[in-house]
Amino acid sequence: SGVLGSFGLGMGGAVAENPTRVIMLTEVVSPQELQEDNEYEEIKEDMRDECGKYGTLTNLVIPRPRPGENVPGVGKVFVEYTDIAGSSKAKASLHGRKFGGNTVVATFYPEDKFACGEFGG
Amino acid sequence: GAGEGGKKRKSRWQDEPKPAALLLSQIQLPDFIKELTGGVDVNPEVQALNLKLLEINRRLQSGQLDDDRPFEARSPSPEPVYDNMGIRINTREFRMREKLTRERQEVIAQLIKKNPNYKPPPDYKPPKLYK
Repeated sequence: SGVLGSFGLGMGGAVAENPTRVIMLTEVVSPQELQEDNEYEEIKEDMRDECGKYGTLTNLVIPRPRPGENVPGVGKVFVEYTDIAGSSKAKASLHGRKFGGNTVVATFYPEDKFACGEFGG
Repeated sequence: GAGEGGKKRKSRWQDEPKPAALLLSQIQLPDFIKELTGGVDVNPEVQALNLKLLEINRRLQSGQLDDDRPFEARSPSPEPVYDNMGIRINTREFRMREKLTRERQEVIAQLIKKNPNYKPPPDYKPPKLYK
């Protein structure tokens, strides 16, 4: 029974990481790409389509650079799901995938920070 | 959600890995199970049987033969049986060892049934046909 118990815990894989409903994708886009309106919309669409495969999205935030301002979170993509099942599946599936030639790094992001619009880190 | 239209453009996302590879990579087994099965057998029933077998082996080897059920859930102890020297034969440990050994035989028999290629441990004896 002891072995079966620990087996159940191990299945999640990311037990130590504290799953949240929000995932952060880094190493995805460069500030230059985000400046172009067309390109920005395309990136957003690609993200929405792909991330929507793993669960129901409630929010998608791609911070955009503004001239003369230091916008936190530029180059990152934040995706919020209705549940942890969705975000966990997305994280597992997207981590290591390539987006426009960049290898994506996916991590969980604190829900409270996301809710406050804090994208600094 | 979905259905944003305009599907002519190619997504920046590179194609997903093949479904089979994806599935296998998403199933995370404890390392000792991978060693046991060579990382190929992902049938949950077989996994459960393997786990059960491991647990039984561990208990038999470590001599951890105490009954982990709460006292009131246990069945009444049988009448004591003594040998010629007056030492009790059917002690709690003795009975637990017998029970675990019996369970072990059953689990291995089931594993063989599920997978004819399964190699039983060398000390496994197939059940006798009479009962």
